[in-house]
Amino acid sequence: MIKNIVHVLEHDFRNFFRYRWWLVGLISMNLADLFIMAVVYNNMLAPKISKEITSYFNFFAPGLAVTGLFASAFMIGREINMERRREVHHYMLSIPMTRMELAIGRVLSGGLRGMVYMSPLLLTCFLFLGFPSVPQFFIILGVLFLLAVGISGLSIAIAVSTSSLEIFITARGLVYYTLFFCSSVFYPLSLIQELGQEGKFPVILVKFAETNPLSSASDMVRSFLLPGYPAFSYLSIASVVIFSLFFTLLASLAYIKVLER
Amino acid sequence: MNKLLLVIERDVRLFFQYKFLIIMRVIWFISQIALFGLIASRMIKIPEVDYFKYYVAGLSVMTLYSAAIFIGFDIYEDAEHGVFEYLLSLPVSRRQLVLGRSIGGGLRAFIYVGPLIAVSLYVIGSVEPVSFLISLLALFLFAFGVSGMSITFAVLIKSSDRFDILMGVLDALIVRLSTAMYPLAVVQASNPTYGTIASFNPVTFASDLFRWGANVDAPVLNNPLNPLLGIIAFFAFFTFVGVIIYDRRIEGGGWQ
Repeated sequence: MIKNIVHVLEHDFRNFFRYRWWLVGLISMNLADLFIMAVVYNNMLAPKISKEITSYFNFFAPGLAVTGLFASAFMIGREINMERRREVHHYMLSIPMTRMELAIGRVLSGGLRGMVYMSPLLLTCFLFLGFPSVPQFFIILGVLFLLAVGISGLSIAIAVSTSSLEIFITARGLVYYTLFFCSSVFYPLSLIQELGQEGKFPVILVKFAETNPLSSASDMVRSFLLPGYPAFSYLSIASVVIFSLFFTLLASLAYIKVLER
Repeated sequence: MNKLLLVIERDVRLFFQYKFLIIMRVIWFISQIALFGLIASRMIKIPEVDYFKYYVAGLSVMTLYSAAIFIGFDIYEDAEHGVFEYLLSLPVSRRQLVLGRSIGGGLRAFIYVGPLIAVSLYVIGSVEPVSFLISLLALFLFAFGVSGMSITFAVLIKSSDRFDILMGVLDALIVRLSTAMYPLAVVQASNPTYGTIASFNPVTFASDLFRWGANVDAPVLNNPLNPLLGIIAFFAFFTFVGVIIYDRRIEGGGWQ
């Protein structure tokens, strides 16, 4: 079983590295966000927020790693949507492996590709914010891997349930912006909660931001690297675990169903 | 003139076939205002500036920029699908073709961004009629200049992948190193090099003029003539250079 999954991983990684220049471009865009936007935002923070997070650059660096992880883990969905439209899945079915091996392999490869893409961003974050201890480092890797697999599952679930590229891209846009902007990736969660209390932000979106796995993952990295940030608790990553399990299962079942249609 | 209009019309029609792109950009624009803009304006404090309005105005210019860039991708599509040969066989001079594409690229971006600018103005609230018309003219020229720039790069770089990457990186740098998201004084205080680049950036000129026209509380624009001249120079350079390069490249299968 493992051998077959490894073959699927190899196939997807080869595809991934075919776009290496595109990846370099994407990483440089992410770094521009950190080294230009975050540096300038540092000088515009409201005094109250300045007390809470001290430096926007330091606050944003972990969020940026999560952003990169999300964007790259989501790429697998686009490939699967294309395979579906071009009916490449007929070829996939002819490969001597079970449907489940194929489905798990695709979800895992999406997640692992996300981890590979994210690693230079995470390293940049460590270089500027300091390195975590060894156990903290493994917790970070473990949680981010779970998140990446969940994102990959989410993108596959969307890819197989949309028949055209246009609908897939529109759905992806909706998911992207809701997950990113209703999270603590770009700003502290307290701001969203404050807006919710004042009735300027829908309560449902406040709850969504609080349980958003992107918020949990970003805040977990911050809790290890930023002094004075609320301490890490295993309970805080429950949303990442549930998100990952749910979408891995959903994506695998949906992918198998589409393959056999 | 009639032939030029036909070329412009073709490019405008072509753009509105990309429905998904239009929907995506509208979703992006709305979520930037309703989510990012609203929340980030709580995080940011600039004396005498309402950051929410400041950001919404900058967002319109960013959207205009990214829509005008899209003409470059159409040039690759034409080359890939053999439409270039068809275009060259038409009874339209090379100059008309190139100029038409540049104007068409800018015009369609402007038509697309028009309703979004209306949304921005609704959010911002007030408009100074005369200065707003001047700023609108500046945005027109800015859109033509960006589409000329996109055409210039598209015909210089033969690989669509490289073009895609270059445009992505350029977008990231040109928008972030401008006053689209933050005032020049803050950029300068953060890093003098960033400040110098931002001072000569066409996105800065367009954003400052749009805010001046839309009457957004922003650092006072001492002389609107300077950014206006900057945009005219940007427009003239890329339209002129774009026409010459495109003109030379399309002869003898130079785009292949």
